[in-house]
This record gives sequence, C-alpha cells and structure tokens, in this order.
Amino acid sequence: MRKRPDKTLGESLRDHGLSRRGFLKLCATTASLMALPPSLAPAIAAALEQARRPSVIWLSFQECTGCTESLTRSHAPTLEDLIFDFISLDYHHTLQAASGEAAEAARFQAMEENKGQYLVIVDGSIPGPDANPGFSTVAGHSNYDILMETVEHAAAVIAVGTCAAFGGLPQARPNPTGAMSVMDLVRDKPVINVPGCPPIPMVITGVVAHYLVFGRLPELDAYHRPLAFYGQSIHDRCYRRPFYDKGLFAERFDDEGARQGWCLYRLGCKGPTTYNACATMKWNDGTSWPIEAGHPCLGCSEPKFWDAGGFYEPVSVPLTLGPTTLLGAGAAGGVIGGGLAAMARKQVKQDAATRQPVTVDELEQKL
Amino acid sequence: MSELTLERGLAAFRAEIDAPTAAFFSSCVHCGLCAQSCPFYLETGDPKYTPILKLEPLRRVWENEFTLWGRIKGLLGLQKKVTDAMLAEWEELLYDSCSMCGRCSMVCPVGNDLAYMIRKTREGMVQSGHAPEGLVSASVRAITTGSPMGLQWKTLAVQIQHVESSSGLTVPVDQEGAEYLVLLSSMEVINFPEYLEAITRIFDHAGVTWTLSTQCFEATNAGIQIGNKDIAAQLVERVVAAAETLRVPKVISPECGHAYTAIRWEGPNLIGRPYSFRVFHIVEVLDELRAAGRIRTEGKEGDRLSMHDPCNLARKSGVIQQQRNLMALVAENFVDLKEHGKYQWCCGAGGGVSSNERAEALKMTAFKRKKAQIEEVAPERMVTMCATCRTQLEEGLETFNMEIPVVGLTEMIAEHLVERD
Repeated sequence: MRKRPDKTLGESLRDHGLSRRGFLKLCATTASLMALPPSLAPAIAAALEQARRPSVIWLSFQECTGCTESLTRSHAPTLEDLIFDFISLDYHHTLQAASGEAAEAARFQAMEENKGQYLVIVDGSIPGPDANPGFSTVAGHSNYDILMETVEHAAAVIAVGTCAAFGGLPQARPNPTGAMSVMDLVRDKPVINVPGCPPIPMVITGVVAHYLVFGRLPELDAYHRPLAFYGQSIHDRCYRRPFYDKGLFAERFDDEGARQGWCLYRLGCKGPTTYNACATMKWNDGTSWPIEAGHPCLGCSEPKFWDAGGFYEPVSVPLTLGPTTLLGAGAAGGVIGGGLAAMARKQVKQDAATRQPVTVDELEQKL
Repeated sequence: MSELTLERGLAAFRAEIDAPTAAFFSSCVHCGLCAQSCPFYLETGDPKYTPILKLEPLRRVWENEFTLWGRIKGLLGLQKKVTDAMLAEWEELLYDSCSMCGRCSMVCPVGNDLAYMIRKTREGMVQSGHAPEGLVSASVRAITTGSPMGLQWKTLAVQIQHVESSSGLTVPVDQEGAEYLVLLSSMEVINFPEYLEAITRIFDHAGVTWTLSTQCFEATNAGIQIGNKDIAAQLVERVVAAAETLRVPKVISPECGHAYTAIRWEGPNLIGRPYSFRVFHIVEVLDELRAAGRIRTEGKEGDRLSMHDPCNLARKSGVIQQQRNLMALVAENFVDLKEHGKYQWCCGAGGGVSSNERAEALKMTAFKRKKAQIEEVAPERMVTMCATCRTQLEEGLETFNMEIPVVGLTEMIAEHLVERD
C-alpha cells in the first residue's frame, strides 16, 4: 500500500514506535550530518515534527542501480528507514511493490495530488532530445519525455549519482546514446546534484532531510552540489595527507610505500581535485573508504571523470603535452637550474671558506 | 687590526644562504600571515615589523646573487643593493622587534622557517658591525668573564652558601662521575636564587647525583642571541669541556629558553662534533623523575594558576606536556591560556630583546599580547620555566598594574616535596 502524505512527520514517526528521545537523537544526527551547529537540533525537531511528508518520485534512467544499492546500505542503522518514513516514496522501480500499469498510475496519482510540491529524484543520465528516443524507455515512453513530464510540476529535482548529475558513464566518449545530465535538460526548476559513483548514502538522505527541515535547498557550489558535503577536497581531509606533505609516495601497488600506507598521488589519486565527503564520512557504516583500502581516489564525484585521463595517471601531469616535450622542457630547466645552482654553491663555498671569525676585539671596537 | 665591515657582512649573508633559505624566499607568496602572528607587528600596527620584511637584507643578497632575474637586473643596473645605511635601518627590525619566538614559522602557509632565517641574517649583521650595543657588550662579557652579566663564580659561591644554610643540604661542586651536570643562568643566580635551592631539595629527595662545575656554570649563550657562530661555539665549548672533565652522562639546562635551544639543538652543529653526553631541560628531568615515581609530593596549590610556555621550550623544542604533568602534581586549579603549547604567544623579551636596553619600550608594547591572554583567563598567579620570560612577565604585569605574581615551576615542585623523616 502506498503511504499517503496526510500525517505530519511527528505523527508518522510515533506510529512507527519512535520515542521522543530517539527522535531528538535523530535530529541531532541530522544536524551534524549537514554540518549544522548542534544548537539547531531543536529547530530541526520542531520543523520535522510539523512537516508533511512530501511525495517523492524516483526516476531511474540510464543507470546501473548502484545509487539505489548505495542508498539501501544505510550508514546509521535506523536513519535511512526513518528517511523513508519522512517521505512518501510514491514511485521507485526497484523498491516499489507495484508493477506495470499500476506503477505508472501511482506516478500520475502522486503528481496530480501533490502538484507543485513533490520532489523528483533522478538517477541515471537521459538520451537527449536529439538522440534516438528508443535508446532507453520505460513503459514505452522515452526517458526524456518521462523526465520532462514529471518535473513540470515538481518543487525541485535532486540528481543522484554522477550519471544524473553530470552524464557519467553513458556520457563518456564517444557518448553513443547522446546522454545528458538532468542539469542540461531541466532549466526552470531548482536542481541539486548529489554526484558520486555511487554517492555516499548519508549524503543522499542528508540532502532530503535538509529540504524537509528548512523547506529550501541547501547551499550549493558551482556544480550545484551541496557545500555541506562537497565543500572540501578529498585530499584536504585525507588521513594520508601527511605523507604527501613529506613527499612519501607509493610508486607501485606492491612496493614498500604501498605497504607503509603512503600517499597514492603518484598512483593516480584524484583526491586533490575531487570534492566529496568520503574521507570524513567513509563507507559501509563508517568502516573504510577507497584510499583507506589502498586504492587511489577515482574522482567519481567530478564532472567528466571517465574522460579525465587514466585512473592511474597522476593528476598534475598535463595530459595534452607529450612525454618528449615534457622531457625536453625538464632537461632544459634542469640544465639552467643546475648551472645556476652550481654557481651559487661555488659562491657559498667560497664565502664559507674565506669567512673571518668574529673576535671580541672586533666587537669591542663597536662599543 | 681587523674590523667589522659591510663586505664581511655581505660575505656572511652569502655564506648563510643555503638550500632551505633559497627555497623559502622563492616560495613566499606575500600573504602577510607572518605579520598576523608577530606580537611586535600586532601591538604596534606598524607594517615595518612584518617578519618577512625583517629579512629583506638577506633576501636582497639572495635575489641579486643567487637568482637568474637578479643577475639580469644586475646587468641592467636595476638591482637594489644592500648598503651600510640599509643595515643600520634594519638593525632595529632584526634585533629590537624580533624575539625569534618562531610563531611566524609556525603559521607560514608555505612552511617558510622565518626564525631560522632571522638567526642567519643576524650573522651578517654582526659581521657588518650592526648589532645593538647591549648584545655586543653581553657577548664580550660572556667571552671575557664567563657570564653575559659579568657574574663570577664567587657570586655563585655566596648563593651556594645561602642555599646550604637554609636547606641544610650540600650543593655538590665538581663531583666527578655525577649523573647530571647542572648549569645555571646568570639571571637565576642574581634574581631567582630560589631555583638553585629548589633543585638541591628535589635532587636530594629523588636521590639523584648531580654537580655544579667551577669550570663552567653558565648555560646562556650570548652568541646565539646576537647571532654569531664564533662566539656561540666558544661558549658551547666551555660547557662541553666542563661536562667532559667531570665525565657526566647528562647535562641539565636551567629554567632558561634560549640556553636550552643553544646547547641542545645548535651546540653540536656549532662545534662540529657530537657530544659525549645528553642535554635536558630541567622540566624534562623533573617529569622523568615524576614518571619514575621518584618525586613524591603532598598538598596542592589551591589558587587559580595559569602557565606561560617559553617559545624556545614549547614551540621550538616540543617540551609541552612535561610541564603540564608537573602542574597536575601540585596544582588543583590549573587553567591553560587559550593559545598555549606550540601556538603560545611570546612574552616579548626573548631572542636578545631583553639584553638590548634600546628595545625596552618596544618590549613592553609586545608584552600587551601576553597581557591580553592572561586577562582572558584571569589567573591568580602565573607559572613559567624561563628566567627571561619570568622577568618580563613580572615587569610587564607590574607596568600594567596587574597583581599577578609569577612563580618558577621548579620552585613550586620543591615546595610540595614530602618531607623525609
């Protein structure tokens, strides 16, 4: 049975046996999750208590269901269940019980009853208006048509996963399906991007919670990502950062540096150019994350990450220059620098060798 | 007769420019954060006290003679030269307005060690004859009399007598094979004789064998303060000779900041060979004894106490937890200043500023930063472990009519020792 968005959240949660104490704890967790001061927890509680559970329509297009898989592997044990009680998830291919025409009818009903107020969550990219509409269809309709029809009366759109946010894998060169991101297609509605391949589950739920509490979208960066989660680079929060600062790098996956847990920058880590919360929130109930497991960051929450050079090529080597040019420039620089350094060293040596020690007599002359 | 000249100064600058210095100068991004970390700049608001500007003479020599652009500028006649007039102007910046506290080195976002370069720049200042009179005479006295204050063993002998009669204990002198050689600072001998009595009591209590040396009792190093390695090395050699004569395995630097960094860190580099002994600050020794259960105390100070970390000890040497362990032993109402440990603020008197009479007014202005910190936590007394800091705190608090006595940590420990039957 589809839940109808007629109860307030407070009522709904109490129906599910959540104590007041548990509810406040949840609010405090939500506050910290969204990088808000703990003093806001009561405000969150008040807001959530009163909020009507919004209807949410989840559209899946050219995707692998990894984002949904991520969402179901919840980080805090009860939080995601509660988030599902916070919202009324009226349409979701993987999670809904209905199928066929009943499923599509549910979507239309939700859109009709909550006109102008429902949220649309999208995962997967969309073959653009100029592409062959047959590349990806649901119930005989093209992804593009479904998206445009569904967002028309939505309050906001949340693009979950790099495919929906930036085009992702389907859009990687040569982009055979003409895949586009939600942001490319939806211009007249607020779009929040929650990229990642997949995104951290807590980030997905955190954005929804923020919307519920404050009734507006969180603060976003230039790529429409919530700053609370995408405000800092992986590199800046990485626990291996001290090794980078000391110049200690693993050069191969099986060398001593790798065993010692040194920085993976030279093995292609994209941490310095990647903004995401993996380094602080981690994965699988806070167990670990890619770099902790010994693998460089792929930069999956950044636009065009599939086409940004090899996963195992270090970031700062410009990919447009060939190795010969680089070697040549390096050699020339080396010769000039070396020459200057040699001259300078000679000078320092000379001055050090002919250095006159300071004596008390000399000092006394100055008194 | 040879004399100190600009040429010798320039040669010294060149000889001091090493790879780190070149890297530091070329990586400065002119962000000005060093100014925000400097009590002399913050309390005066005068931009000439920006730490990186204090290094301009050294930086100019580096740019003119060690960089490609500098050389090109030279060919075009565009170089700005380092002149005697410039060095005379910079003397105040390098000595009066820098306590070498190293806070700028800590906050520099590109990791430039400014205090390290100040030390180097002072080498050139001495060689060119541009060191302040107060420090020159302290250096001369240190070499000729053995103490920067002109103190002789006979003065110390009188203090020893006082200590012996008031404690009923013997102060060991020239005891070969003792575990520790204890050094003192002239400032302590004159102003804070309580220190000598305190260690006499504590070492007796803990059963530690120790000795003073008539050959060398002075721990301070005027050569480090003025910035001259010849003077500094001679003074370190005296300590080494005394320690070797008495065959001690450990040497204790007193409650003095720069003496510790001079003997502990610069010493072996100055004399060009490793020591046959290890060097400790008295606070390190006391904390080791505490950890080994050799110091037993009774009773605790009940008033609100706070602590000033000497820069040389905390920021430059990482001795931070030891003094807090010791405080926990004898104080029940201890509160740290907000910024303490390696990010503490300098008292304003270190790095030779206190020996430089001309800098008196500036020194008190810089103290305002410490004063504000102290006001913030409003302690009833301050504790510290450096005679220079202690004098500055006492003078400063008096100047600003704040009735907060200052105590040495070692004395405070000595007062709480369990009496033997």
